[in-house]
Amino acid sequence: MEVVDARVALAPAISLLCGALVFAAADNTFWRRFWSVSAALAKLGIVMSMLPGSLRGVVYTFDLVEFTPGVGLAFRADALGMFFSVVSSTLWLFTTVYAIGYMEREPNRRRFFGFFALCVSTTVGVAFAENLLTMFLFYETLTICTYPLVIHDETPEAMRAGRTYLVYTLTGGAFVLLGSIWTYQLAGTMTLSQPGILSMEAGRTTLTALFVCLIAGFGVKAAIMPLHGWLPTAMVAPTPVSALLHAVAVVKVGAFGVLRTIYNVFGVELLRELGVCDWLAALAAVTIVTASIIAIFQDNFKRRLAFSTISQLSYIVLGAALLSPLAATAAIVHIANQAFAKITMFFVAGSIQRTTGKTTIHELAGIGYRMPYTMGAFTVAALSFIGIPLFAGFVTKWYLSLGALESDRWIYALVMLGSALLNAAYWLPIVYTAFFKAPHEEVVVQEAHWTMLGPTLACAAYVLLLGMTVSVPGMPFALAQAAVTFVFGM
Amino acid sequence: METEATRSILPLLAFALPIVAAVLTVPAQRVSEHARAALLLVVAAAVAAVALVLAAGVASGTVYDTYILQLTPQIWMYLRVDAAGALFGATVAVLWLLALVYSLGYMREEHRLGRYYGFFILCLSWTMGLAYAGNLLTFLIFYELFSILTYPLVVHEETPEAMAAGTKYIVYILFGGTLVLLAIVLTFFSAGVQTFTAGGILSPETDPSMLQVIFWCFLGGFGVKAALVPLHGWVPDAHPAAPAPFSAVLSGVMVAAGSFGIIRTVFQVFGTSLLTSMGVMPYVTGVAGFTVLFAAALAVNQDNLKRRLAYSTISQMAYVVLAVSLLGPESTVGALVHITNHAFMKGGLFLCAGLFIRRLGAYNVQQLDGAARRMPITAACFAIACLGMIGTPPLSGFTSKWYLGLGMLETEKPWLLAVLLGGALMAAIYLLPIVYRMYFREPVITPEDRTVAEGREAPATMLGPLVAATAITLLLGIGASLPGMPVALARMATDAFFH
Repeated sequence: MEVVDARVALAPAISLLCGALVFAAADNTFWRRFWSVSAALAKLGIVMSMLPGSLRGVVYTFDLVEFTPGVGLAFRADALGMFFSVVSSTLWLFTTVYAIGYMEREPNRRRFFGFFALCVSTTVGVAFAENLLTMFLFYETLTICTYPLVIHDETPEAMRAGRTYLVYTLTGGAFVLLGSIWTYQLAGTMTLSQPGILSMEAGRTTLTALFVCLIAGFGVKAAIMPLHGWLPTAMVAPTPVSALLHAVAVVKVGAFGVLRTIYNVFGVELLRELGVCDWLAALAAVTIVTASIIAIFQDNFKRRLAFSTISQLSYIVLGAALLSPLAATAAIVHIANQAFAKITMFFVAGSIQRTTGKTTIHELAGIGYRMPYTMGAFTVAALSFIGIPLFAGFVTKWYLSLGALESDRWIYALVMLGSALLNAAYWLPIVYTAFFKAPHEEVVVQEAHWTMLGPTLACAAYVLLLGMTVSVPGMPFALAQAAVTFVFGM
Repeated sequence: METEATRSILPLLAFALPIVAAVLTVPAQRVSEHARAALLLVVAAAVAAVALVLAAGVASGTVYDTYILQLTPQIWMYLRVDAAGALFGATVAVLWLLALVYSLGYMREEHRLGRYYGFFILCLSWTMGLAYAGNLLTFLIFYELFSILTYPLVVHEETPEAMAAGTKYIVYILFGGTLVLLAIVLTFFSAGVQTFTAGGILSPETDPSMLQVIFWCFLGGFGVKAALVPLHGWVPDAHPAAPAPFSAVLSGVMVAAGSFGIIRTVFQVFGTSLLTSMGVMPYVTGVAGFTVLFAAALAVNQDNLKRRLAYSTISQMAYVVLAVSLLGPESTVGALVHITNHAFMKGGLFLCAGLFIRRLGAYNVQQLDGAARRMPITAACFAIACLGMIGTPPLSGFTSKWYLGLGMLETEKPWLLAVLLGGALMAAIYLLPIVYRMYFREPVITPEDRTVAEGREAPATMLGPLVAATAITLLLGIGASLPGMPVALARMATDAFFH
């Protein structure tokens, strides 16, 4: 059932408004904080108010403008879009609170919080985009809005990373635009409301080229190897930005774009016939394993996190590329599972950096006794990535393994289980260093400020919640299932 | 489903209480050490009481179950107390209580006690959950949690050896857990339902090569924990490194958890008829038989007492797998009873080893000369447990081996009696010389030997649990045929398995 409802447009708009208000607040700290937090709350409220309807199967739509007939800006909150926006608006709230604590003494806070809000606005815009054009528009705006955040420190290194970031993502954006126009030319529409709009009539070669074009475009942000180069360098950004980039906005928008391409532009049936997804799955599997192996050798905390992100994002791509309902469930829920666990880790890395100034892993000996709650949260996230049952990551591992079997590609089940072991190989040493290596100095409990510790613990609690409670109504899991049901026409 | 189950909150309590206690240890130790000790004791005693009540209920024919969480739309986290689970659960809970009381004395001067007690009581929760798990995924949850979260206990002493042993432990266990997960994913994919069902949940129509893969993944995965050679590497390192009370539960029930997993797999995932037609069991018999003799042979040369006992555990636990692999009712009774009997015998031996360390500074067998004169009660308990281990009647070790032997004859494999007797003989070779040293050699007074000056036997907190474990070993042997004893429960479980 489709209902026209302005809330779909209001959700992205409210962060936009917040961005404007933050800029208007100039250097007044109170108003900047006030607008940031209240916009985060308002947006979460709006998205959550749509959740019950969405769980009943209602799809909210809103057409903003129509440029020419059939081409315009339109919003549509289907199950997949709702899932993504619930995750991103929840995390935005946590990240905003964290950023307030983290950025306490940084310069240029106005620019930071302003663009921060704009980023989330565009993320929800992508989530609710009804057609490829709307999606492209927000996708590109996101690139522009994150640039000032990446170069926030304005060091030469940051400027360089910013340039790399722009070159990669703008090129990707160009491919998305090309793909969108091409799709319009082939299908006569750009809507994302159908389980596939293209058909085999377009010809095998054309469709393959289009697929490559769209996946390459979205794959840059989803950091599929070899398009991942920007991500580790963008780690120079302040930690809340890294958290936002890695867990919520940028990379997830890329992964979400891949999901939309596979499920709503091409459709499962067509892709099965076309056979290109086998290549994508193989590429994703290679990314999963390679990035994990590289991660093992990173001593810089945030760089290790970066390579882990590259690896984890490809879980989503792999899940989508397997074209089986169970793997699709894994792909969608992993958006949330990875997001909450990874953001926990970034919060931890940031808290440690702010509290102790330490940025490399070998310096962390005994940190678990200095910051027990922070490192406890880290351990929860680490166990989730390893896929210990009752933690969020297990749900992904379980469904993706089953999905691999369902689609008769058991090798990917082995890749999943192997990847879990690799995750253990690079996360457990950190836990070990923190809790089981004697600290070099006298240990006094010294946690980060509550604005940083609170979001860290909340996200860690979410990791547990996501792993345990599919039965609680309103958890995104039901949305993921609704999305899968729609896409596979079950 | 064999029996209609009664919904009960008791299984839930058995696994939830220790979690609550683990959380409360933090505020409790702020109050005082006594508050923490009281909290832990009350909870461990309550869990033991619950486990015994459940066992008594099961013995009178009830099956209890509880749904906890809906994990996926198809699968619940589900506890179901049948006869096998009730027996294992009661064993776990009682041994844990003894080890906890012992810890209060043994760990007194150790560091980081908050961490030790927190994880010690937490692991009770996972192990109870494991005993009562009603389906494969629930089993996996507890299996993984208790594998990972015992790490802080293994490395507790934080010596270089302990850290190395801990790393070895975690690597073995993670690989084993991955194999078990793979097996469970494949089982779910092939059979869907996962509730443990007598006669198995895998259908004979499943692709034969898939069945083979599932079986060997299960065996490989659980085999790591059950310490089947060549997957046993972590056991001889982890036991000497861990604190003695934890070594006791590690040997008594943790290794047994792997064997318990194999029992569940064999009888309630595959079922005897399917396994017979698959023809895999002779290989398992071979592996287990080899493990019995090989580990026993290695035990003979170990000078470190806890290491020798660890090899003995490998050998003794392989009896369980050996018994299961025969797929006969009598041997299955023997397998289930042996888990319980071994838990108290080996638990007792490790408690003794801890006392020798604490009171005599003796880590090695050679240092135990004349120990019986200075620690008569401890030495007597040690000797009784050793005799039980060898299988001397009327001690409990005899009971289990008796049924195992009957099973070998019943399934017409009398040549396996050679393994049974060979293992017992080897146990005599690696255990009796220790007893001999304790009773018939002159003590050597070493400089670090404090007992000469300050009295002999350990205080009651440590001696009490040891005496209790020994008493249970005697009781399980002498009273084996009484109603409500392990043999009766094992018989019920076996009847269900073979219906």
